[in-house]
Amino acid sequence: MAYSDKVLDHYQNPRNVGSLDKESNDVGTGVVGAPECGDVMKLQIKVSDDGKIIDAKFKTYGCGSAIASSSLATEWLKGTSVDAAAEIKNTQIVEELSLPPVKIHCSVLAEDAIKAAIDDWKAKNGKKTEEK
Amino acid sequence: MIHVPAPDAFAVFGVARTLDLDEPELELRYLKLSRDCHPDHNRAQTSTDCVAVLQRSAEINDAWNVLRDPWRRARALLEAESQGVLNRNKKLDPMFLMEALELAEEVAHADSDGQEVLTKKLNAAIDADYQALRADVAKADFDTAAKRVHQSHYHLKALHDLEAKS
Repeated sequence: MAYSDKVLDHYQNPRNVGSLDKESNDVGTGVVGAPECGDVMKLQIKVSDDGKIIDAKFKTYGCGSAIASSSLATEWLKGTSVDAAAEIKNTQIVEELSLPPVKIHCSVLAEDAIKAAIDDWKAKNGKKTEEK
Repeated sequence: MIHVPAPDAFAVFGVARTLDLDEPELELRYLKLSRDCHPDHNRAQTSTDCVAVLQRSAEINDAWNVLRDPWRRARALLEAESQGVLNRNKKLDPMFLMEALELAEEVAHADSDGQEVLTKKLNAAIDADYQALRADVAKADFDTAAKRVHQSHYHLKALHDLEAKS
């Protein structure tokens, strides 16, 4: 089974790889893992005073789909609002990257990472996290 | 495809549910169980009996592959003690995951001297994981044990990546 061209593109030219200062108050960090495959994904957002995501970075240790999912997520996050970011669903990532069923958990990981980063930023800035 | 849940490997072998199986003894047991299924020794005549023997034989092989590997054995033990325990404990501490990410980077960038140091460090970490796992199981703390198994997977994977480099 082959990876889609979009996955390959993100895998070979990942966007926004790197780190933001996790101690900074305007940065939210999410680190999530998929123990069954030994993947780790770190996703960070930098948020402006008016709740816009002005920067996003990721580091992922895992398969091509996990890297592509997090790379795509950072592209989508940049320039959007925190509220809109919270609405990103793994199914959108699956669709955009044409992920096969066995790789859906990679997109779930990316969604979890986005939520964890938002929660971290909210906790730092005294905002209540919505009950799930 | 029909999913048939794998039977408890310890039950298939008829051995006690413990992490510390005597490995030579386990192998003898495997040979004995396999021999009993072999057509030269087994007098199954009807086709129903033959299918049953074949199935038993497949179960024995699967169980052997689980029991001979300490980490797969641990997973089987935890599932047998508390069904679904591995699935319930997949959320790992972010601090640990951060370390796992740093470790993966170290592995990716290690030169040959660094590889040697890292191999030692990882082997020590994996040994420590298993010791801790024994203690968790002895206390019947299967949730902590399941987390431990998941964490060790990151160490095992890092070691595997390191070996693949050289």
